[in-house]
Amino acid sequence: MLLAVLFANSEGNILVERFNGVPAEERLHWRSFLVKLGAENLKGAKNEELLVACHKSVYIVYTVLGDVSIYVVGKDEYDELALSEVIFVITSAVKDVCVKPPTERLFLDKYGKICLCLDEIVWKGYLENTDKERIKRLIRLKPPVDF
Amino acid sequence: MAQPFMKKDDDDEEAEYSPFLGIEKGAVLQEARVFNDPQLDPRRCSQVITKLLYLLNQGETFTKTEATEVFFAVTKLFQSRDIGLRRMVYLIIKELSPCADEVIIVTSSLMKDMNSKTDMYRANAIRVLCRITDGTLLTQIERYLKQAIVDKNPVVASAALVSGIHLLQTNPEIVKRWSNEVQEAVQSRAALVQFHALAVLHQIRQNDRLAVSKLVTSLTRGSVRSPLAQCLLIRYTSQVIHESTSNLQTGERPFFDYLESCLRHKAEMVILEAARAITELNGVTSRELTPAITVLQLFLSSSKPVLRFAAVRTLNKVAMTHPMAVTNCNIDMESLISDQNRSIATLAITTLLKTGNELSVDRLMKQITNFMSDIADEFKIVVVEAIRSLCLKFPLKYRSLMNFLSNILREEGGFEYKKAIIDSIVILIRDIPEAKESGLLHLCEFIEDCEFTYLSTQILHFLGIEGPKTSDPSKYIRYIYNRVHLENATVRASAVSTLAKFGAMVESLKPRIFVLLRRCLFDSDDEVRDRATLYLNTLGGDGSEVETSAITNEFLFGSLEVPLVNLETSLKNYEPSDESFDINSVPKEIKSQPLAEKKAPGKKPTAGLAAPPSGPATTTDAYERLLSSIAEFSSFGKLFKSSAPVELTEAGTEYAVNVVKHIFDSHVVFQYNCNNTIPEVLLENVAVIVDSSDAEEFSEVASKPLRSLPYNSPGQTFVAFEKPDGVPAVGKFSNNLKFIVKEVDPSTGEAEEDGVEDEYQLEDLEVVAADYMLKVGVSNFRNAWEVMGADFERVDEYGLGPRESLAEAVNAVIDLLGMQPCEGTEVVPSNSRSHSCLLSGVYIGNVKVLVRLSLGIDGQRDVAMKLAVRSEDESVSDAIHEIVASG
Repeated sequence: MLLAVLFANSEGNILVERFNGVPAEERLHWRSFLVKLGAENLKGAKNEELLVACHKSVYIVYTVLGDVSIYVVGKDEYDELALSEVIFVITSAVKDVCVKPPTERLFLDKYGKICLCLDEIVWKGYLENTDKERIKRLIRLKPPVDF
Repeated sequence: MAQPFMKKDDDDEEAEYSPFLGIEKGAVLQEARVFNDPQLDPRRCSQVITKLLYLLNQGETFTKTEATEVFFAVTKLFQSRDIGLRRMVYLIIKELSPCADEVIIVTSSLMKDMNSKTDMYRANAIRVLCRITDGTLLTQIERYLKQAIVDKNPVVASAALVSGIHLLQTNPEIVKRWSNEVQEAVQSRAALVQFHALAVLHQIRQNDRLAVSKLVTSLTRGSVRSPLAQCLLIRYTSQVIHESTSNLQTGERPFFDYLESCLRHKAEMVILEAARAITELNGVTSRELTPAITVLQLFLSSSKPVLRFAAVRTLNKVAMTHPMAVTNCNIDMESLISDQNRSIATLAITTLLKTGNELSVDRLMKQITNFMSDIADEFKIVVVEAIRSLCLKFPLKYRSLMNFLSNILREEGGFEYKKAIIDSIVILIRDIPEAKESGLLHLCEFIEDCEFTYLSTQILHFLGIEGPKTSDPSKYIRYIYNRVHLENATVRASAVSTLAKFGAMVESLKPRIFVLLRRCLFDSDDEVRDRATLYLNTLGGDGSEVETSAITNEFLFGSLEVPLVNLETSLKNYEPSDESFDINSVPKEIKSQPLAEKKAPGKKPTAGLAAPPSGPATTTDAYERLLSSIAEFSSFGKLFKSSAPVELTEAGTEYAVNVVKHIFDSHVVFQYNCNNTIPEVLLENVAVIVDSSDAEEFSEVASKPLRSLPYNSPGQTFVAFEKPDGVPAVGKFSNNLKFIVKEVDPSTGEAEEDGVEDEYQLEDLEVVAADYMLKVGVSNFRNAWEVMGADFERVDEYGLGPRESLAEAVNAVIDLLGMQPCEGTEVVPSNSRSHSCLLSGVYIGNVKVLVRLSLGIDGQRDVAMKLAVRSEDESVSDAIHEIVASG
């Protein structure tokens, strides 16, 4: 299960958060845990450089893209390897929508499209689409080209 | 803490101002009225939906009325033909997650889209419908979903399949009917469809071992296109290997060739998954391990951090069981100590600590010292634990390792970290006699400047036990007495007790201790004064010079013989009355399983970082209260023990039943916890018919059926047996669940009047010797062993035959006897050839039993065991040997 996808700006303010199968009372805890993790480790990280951590049986892969840091959390079959796949799809989709690694402003300008991309990539905790070209078409309700 | 959660709109930089600056829920809801305009403006509507999404993603919540209003307005947007807007509408409906009675408004629009000629409408409508629908609607759309699974457009097929994964949680019986279509989708040429289909198919069949095995057999031969699907297949394959133990003797392992071939796959993800699966095989041989370790070693120097992490994490696990296999990777691993990614560095260090030899310890410690200053506490704890095991492995190196621990103890750190260090030092002192004196001094120095009351009191308690036995006990007194001056009341009281222990155990120090204790009589805290008074009077500090007797020592410093949690619960439950509190009424059992914890409705296992388990004592109490409230059992006397629940049905069957065995002196009560997992039926007059022909000493005396068992609301039925008083009788019982089934009308929830009698075969149940043993630990085994004396000691030797490992043999004996392992001796270090394990317990009739096991394993994996038993009763010592001899 993909437990969470979270976007934050460079000051740790949440831009997007999507939890799956995490009880409401634990979300705040997760949010602060992830933001703290990012604050401690993401300084000086290059765009799309992946960082990874695990806590008990839960894995976290996170990265920075422009002004935005991105975190994905998973367990069981969504281990660090599967999560790196997920975060790769997310970063490529975001880059595609924003044309370049986004500033915070650019990210918010494209907010609606980014939400649609996320909706195509992760559906309630499961990875659904992995190809950015396909995702680009799907958010405009166009069928994939390779079919 | 509040800072990171401030909404973005608090940022007031003009140049970079957010498009959502000053966004406010009320205003957005007002704006949402544009959805009702007769002339829809798609662009404007999309912007408003984006704002709604932003609010929801920021954790904003809508009241029921607000949500309903927005939802109704959104449904109007189905009239628009604008494609971009339609896509947004699908998303916002899912996010609003309307309640059941509102869903009906969009159902017809969505069903129309589901049959649309536009593929993308179909895919999205399926996703939305499955997200918001309930079981009744699902049966109406099932036909379309089945078609969608085999749709030629991969997006439609994936939408239906991923819906299937979600629906399996709520409506498994419906999804199980799609097996044929899903099977077809597994053969799809589209990689993602195959991945999703494989996940659904496995979930549908997961309780059918044969079917999973067939699935794996056919797919490992064929071509699985997507690397993600390949990873799933590897997981399922290792599950099948794990469950089939055949052919181990001949050395052939089913599917091993497949796993090995995956090591040469082009996707790194697949290679790592296969390597991981190989290292986790049961009883994996070095020959099998080698190719996996080789690829993992290559990944250690990968440029991708995730691959380095995955490789080092896997090697770390291998190092626990096969340290020698990992030593080849030591050089690569040492270079990871300076890895930017701290998780990788920590894993590398802890692996090296496991695989390093005695000579490399000092060099490694030097590297770690530099590393410790720039990692977070949670990583430091992992390192401390690794150092503890290293020290136990190489006791001769205790000096440098103990120094390391005492150095880091002086540095900054949180409670958990400090506790981990203290625990480690305490364990080293206990296990390595040479380390005792220096270790105690490190602890003394630590409490001079310790900010944690809990740790100070723990250390003072430990000093009281170990300090008096050292060559020069007087040197600790200064540190202890300083606490009386400088600390809070809790620590002061603790220090007083510790001083008293020195006084009681070291005659020569007694007069000086009395002087110190007398000073404590004027403390500002009553507990400190009370303790000082008690000790002075009982130890003879009031002027009379007396030798401290063993009875006084036992009274002052002996253990309570009941677990403190249990005592606490009993005291909380005690209601003041004429009858005084009886400490003998406190249950002695340490562990017990919660009542029918199987399927608590609405409580799915979550990812919780650390959700504390519920207190253990409450269960014992709950059982006792439950049984004493039933008239038939109220005369059975005091409950001796309740077992953990034993499953009598397999997971996923229509009726789930487990049983708890309650042992009394001359009775045994079986409590059957039943759960009906079929929504359409109600069970009445539920009883278990027990055949006790294989349990000669038992005769049934009472049975208490359960009047009704509705869907998903667990209930209990009981059967009681009489057995000879105080005798640990054993036997086998076969069980049949008997009941009347009534069908329930799903629309009204009412059951039909007439029912049909039916039976359901349950698994057999055994009462074994371990059921008559309470797991009761002792805090200091050596003392307890000496106090018990050798009067009723029985020693014998046994051959346990070939075993998988020493650990497995130790666990088997512990399970057989049902006793409590003491001082962590149940953990067998990997690769050790011999091991000693200490057990303690209370046998029926309240007889204390202590056991020392010494086991050894030879080259052929034959295990020999020496069993020494001491107890308060000769016949009990013999009985323990009989249990082992017949087990």
